[in-house]
Amino acid sequence: MNDNLLLFIVFFPFIAGLLAYPLGKASNRARNVWVGLVSIAEFAVTVYACVQAGSGTLHAGWQGFCSLGLRFEMDGFRRVYCVVLAFMWMMTLLYSPEYFAHHHHRSRYYLFNLFTLGATAGMFLAQDLCTAFVFFEIMSFTSYTWVVQEETPEAIRAANTYLGICIIGGLTALMGLFLLQHHLGTLEISRLYEAAAAFENKTVLYWAGACLLFGFGAKAGMFPLHIWLPKAHPVAPAPASALLSGILTKAGVFGILAVTCSVFRYDPAWGRVILVLGTVTMVLGALLALVGVNLKRVLACSSLSQIGFILVGVGMMGLLGEHNALAGRGALLHMVNHSTFKLVLFMVAGVVFMNTHKLELNDIRGFGRGKPLLHFCYLMGALGIGGIPLWSGYVSKTLLHESIVEYAAELAAHGLPAGGIHAVEWLFLFTGGLTLTYMTKLYVALFWEKNPDAKLQAAYDRKRPCMNPVSRFALGVPAAAILVMGLLPNAVMDRIADVGTDFLHLGPMEHAVHYFTWTNLKGAVICIVIAAVLYPLVVRRLLMRTQNGVRVYVNVLPTWMDLEDSVYRPFFRVLFRFLGNVAHCVCDALDAVVLLLHKLIFFAKDVKSDDSTSRSLVYRTGRLLDRVCAACRGEPLAWDEEGPHAEHMVERAAVRRYRESLITSAMSFALLLMVMALAAALIYLLIRNT
Amino acid sequence: MKHFCMPVLIALPVLAGIVLAAARMRRRTCKLWLMTAVFAVEAAGVVWLALNGADDVTLFRLTDTLVISLSLDRLGKLFALVFSFAWMLVGIFSFRYMTHEKREDLFFSFFLICEGMLLGACFAANLISLYLFYEMVSLLSMPLVLHSLTREAVAAALKYLFYSVGGAFLALFGLFVLSRYCTTLTFTPGGTLDLAALPGKENLVRAAAFCSILGFGVKAGLFPLHAWLPTAHPVAPAPASAVLSGIITKIGVIASIRMIYCITGTQLLAGSWVQQTLLVLSLISVFMGSMMALRETVFKKRLAYSTVSQVSYVLTGVFLMNEQALTGGLLHVVFHASIKVCLFLTAGSIIYHTGKTNVTDYRGLGKQMPLTLWCFTFASLALVGIPPFSGFVSKWYLAAGALGSGLGAFTWVIPAVLLISALLTAGYLITITAIGFFPGKDFVVRGKRCDGSVLMWGPIAALALFCLLAGVFSGVLVDLARSVAQSLM
Repeated sequence: MNDNLLLFIVFFPFIAGLLAYPLGKASNRARNVWVGLVSIAEFAVTVYACVQAGSGTLHAGWQGFCSLGLRFEMDGFRRVYCVVLAFMWMMTLLYSPEYFAHHHHRSRYYLFNLFTLGATAGMFLAQDLCTAFVFFEIMSFTSYTWVVQEETPEAIRAANTYLGICIIGGLTALMGLFLLQHHLGTLEISRLYEAAAAFENKTVLYWAGACLLFGFGAKAGMFPLHIWLPKAHPVAPAPASALLSGILTKAGVFGILAVTCSVFRYDPAWGRVILVLGTVTMVLGALLALVGVNLKRVLACSSLSQIGFILVGVGMMGLLGEHNALAGRGALLHMVNHSTFKLVLFMVAGVVFMNTHKLELNDIRGFGRGKPLLHFCYLMGALGIGGIPLWSGYVSKTLLHESIVEYAAELAAHGLPAGGIHAVEWLFLFTGGLTLTYMTKLYVALFWEKNPDAKLQAAYDRKRPCMNPVSRFALGVPAAAILVMGLLPNAVMDRIADVGTDFLHLGPMEHAVHYFTWTNLKGAVICIVIAAVLYPLVVRRLLMRTQNGVRVYVNVLPTWMDLEDSVYRPFFRVLFRFLGNVAHCVCDALDAVVLLLHKLIFFAKDVKSDDSTSRSLVYRTGRLLDRVCAACRGEPLAWDEEGPHAEHMVERAAVRRYRESLITSAMSFALLLMVMALAAALIYLLIRNT
Repeated sequence: MKHFCMPVLIALPVLAGIVLAAARMRRRTCKLWLMTAVFAVEAAGVVWLALNGADDVTLFRLTDTLVISLSLDRLGKLFALVFSFAWMLVGIFSFRYMTHEKREDLFFSFFLICEGMLLGACFAANLISLYLFYEMVSLLSMPLVLHSLTREAVAAALKYLFYSVGGAFLALFGLFVLSRYCTTLTFTPGGTLDLAALPGKENLVRAAAFCSILGFGVKAGLFPLHAWLPTAHPVAPAPASAVLSGIITKIGVIASIRMIYCITGTQLLAGSWVQQTLLVLSLISVFMGSMMALRETVFKKRLAYSTVSQVSYVLTGVFLMNEQALTGGLLHVVFHASIKVCLFLTAGSIIYHTGKTNVTDYRGLGKQMPLTLWCFTFASLALVGIPPFSGFVSKWYLAAGALGSGLGAFTWVIPAVLLISALLTAGYLITITAIGFFPGKDFVVRGKRCDGSVLMWGPIAALALFCLLAGVFSGVLVDLARSVAQSLM
């Protein structure tokens, strides 16, 4: 029974999706109700499964799936994340009917949405990396349809980038899996640590780890594979962006965590790499968010930055070895927190979009005025993500900060240089300040300032209520949760962290964390001070210009500073052109040789190189030979490319020509191959005699 | 019954083909029922054979030592099953497709005769019989390419013929040498080399085996003798390209397997320059085929290049000469046959209904032929190797076999090349799905929704479903392929 629960969680959405599609073709209303019920059922079953699991674990499997088998497990960490997942999906699906009221292709959207739900659940419940990979791939492909949903040129472009990154990432991860499976003999997450410890050749393991990090990091939005995120989120429908940012990126993080806690448990070198990449992602994301002028783009870049925070925690887990309790708990809690923040914030953005059909800050200025619930929800999300004490983000950021401080202290105690880690600490705090700054920027624009266009402002003011009761519920509940979690850190947050300890293999906590002491509050205060300085100086001065007498937000980022457009795409274009040409030459080599021999053996002037089925290399070789023949016969050289020669050749009926030369052609080819065979024999004889 | 079954299965389609060509039946339904009956009897017969086995049969003797005889082993069973079922589905598809081509009687009769010859190649008990059936397949499948008799078709058919015949000559050269150093040319797992005559002549035998494999590799599209594929496929009618690509290329595979595992034996070749050269050639084909497919915009040509690449996956598995890799290779035979037949039939259906041959024109095709494009997508995902589709399983075993082969750099180069090629495969197939289903907001659909008659989408959908189910429930197939591989080692 309990086993079936896990299978139900994973496969029910797939079946439900297949039913939702025909239902949607018949009636939109019926489909919306069905999808809502499915999401509620999924949430209920997930919670029930968690209760059933108690403090133990549930196992389930499908032997023989793809002949490799699927194995699911529900332990503490997965319990937490499955509940978060089912909760987020429920909220977005309840909110979707209103958002999609005037959209096309809704049946398609819901079909793939439910598929992705099942796949993501499968990913988080996976007991071994192979199962995780199977669902990871399914998830990548089904979520592609979210990004492309609107089918605008930007959406198609962003979706292509997303798909490309997903496929490259997926295949790279697969290479990692091949290596691990072969060298360690298992892919089960709980058994990898022992297998890795017993394995001598660490270099191979690092290669495998690098492949997996690349693959999962691509989905998580880790630098330098983050390029899809800022493009995909703004074009995807808001409920999909919420899920992409809140859950799908976490699936990537989950993959990284699974590797970190098994193969590279307590491995400082691995931790250092992730720490560096995480720090870069964190700072870069925040800077991009600061200069963004599109509401959802800012939120997407903010996701990057927050993923960076989580990765910093993951990196610290490796660096701190067995004293990784603070880092691990911080990373886990920040994952949960970020999921809820982004759920709320993207749904807020969705409300803005469904009322105004715009996302540019200058256009939507003042939309939130006089809309208390929207105001409340945004504030909860913003204060949470900014790490303000009494909101949940503060708790996780404090833990992460503490872990950095602890490591610095550890280094100092051993008399080792701690400059790098201090730099990370300051970047951490600085990014915290940046987070507050860009959230304030959005806040002021949306809820404080009046739109310069008075008519538009009046129209915005009339849009009340801006959402229906179900959406209000879907938005209000997670927003309230942020506050509750933040107000009761020991009762709620610590328990969540306790539950995840086993999976992350965290050491015992040396002491309980008192969140509201001066030492811990200091970090938050520093962030607030940074934001207080940055907002007026940078946002109001540098990022705003006066146009037509109005202060407007401008994007100061030059277009060439786009990693995708200025580096990746040109690089791949050149690479593919080069490789393509090489392949082309290789491919045509034999045809060219055949032609060469044909002409040499038969001095065949009647067989021209215009065979429409041959390729340019053959054609050119043939042309060259024709000229040589002509020169030999003492005819004048014709070097012009498009002379009568070419036309003449095209016009000649190839059938007739071939009929005449059928025997010679066949003979020449057969001869050629015989020659090759004989050459092989001769070479052999030569080798043997020497 | 056990005695006659194999010869009957070979002779029946040949006779039916001759009858079809000679009788000039007036009513089309008669022809179609005759063909359906033949396909069904063949498929049922092969299944019966696979379950019950058969006695060895000697058909006739050329000389005392050159005997044409048939024998059924596991490898033959596996290939015969794949061939007969794929042939049936393609045959059913061609009923409707051939209505827009001329001279369908001729096509149908050669199509039937080819099936008999292919089964003969599966059942061949020794190298001479295999060579006979191999040549027969080459000669009798040429008219399928020639069918439309346009200038390009004739040129392409001749090219196909030259390559096949040339390859066969190469194989024959090897055969002559090998017959001196083998105790018998009858296929025996582990090889039949005459150990007394061998010392000092190892490299000669290796060279002969190399020539043979290279020669047989023509059919499998092994670099450098692959060039007939992209020429022959676009001009042939879709059912012909489907079987050429999905099935007839596998004749090259079966011949290579017989050569390596049943004549020379893996002991002589494993670790030698022959194995290394062959692996390099197959990897070049894998990469080059995918890269060329990515550059190509004519749909069927793109699929032909893809075949060059994918059949070399199989050959890589065969050349690695270990059980895991061979299992993967054999699985890929089954999967690639179903996938590629499905893809070519999709191409045929699209050409039949819209007349579009260039992939750049496929924008919005999903609105017009949704079911067909869905099937295409399933087959594409399977070819890329996305779990849970079928290609994933075979690639898993191939990679595992490569990693476990202990061949130095090959251990990691092979999985890497396979994955890079998979990436390119996604590039040339998934992009079609993407533009087909997501043409853009302003796209206006022209023409009404139409997936054609059930005779067309039926086989396509069956194959597409097979791509998914064979992946999800691959346990049976893996066991089967492994037992075949074990029987050969």
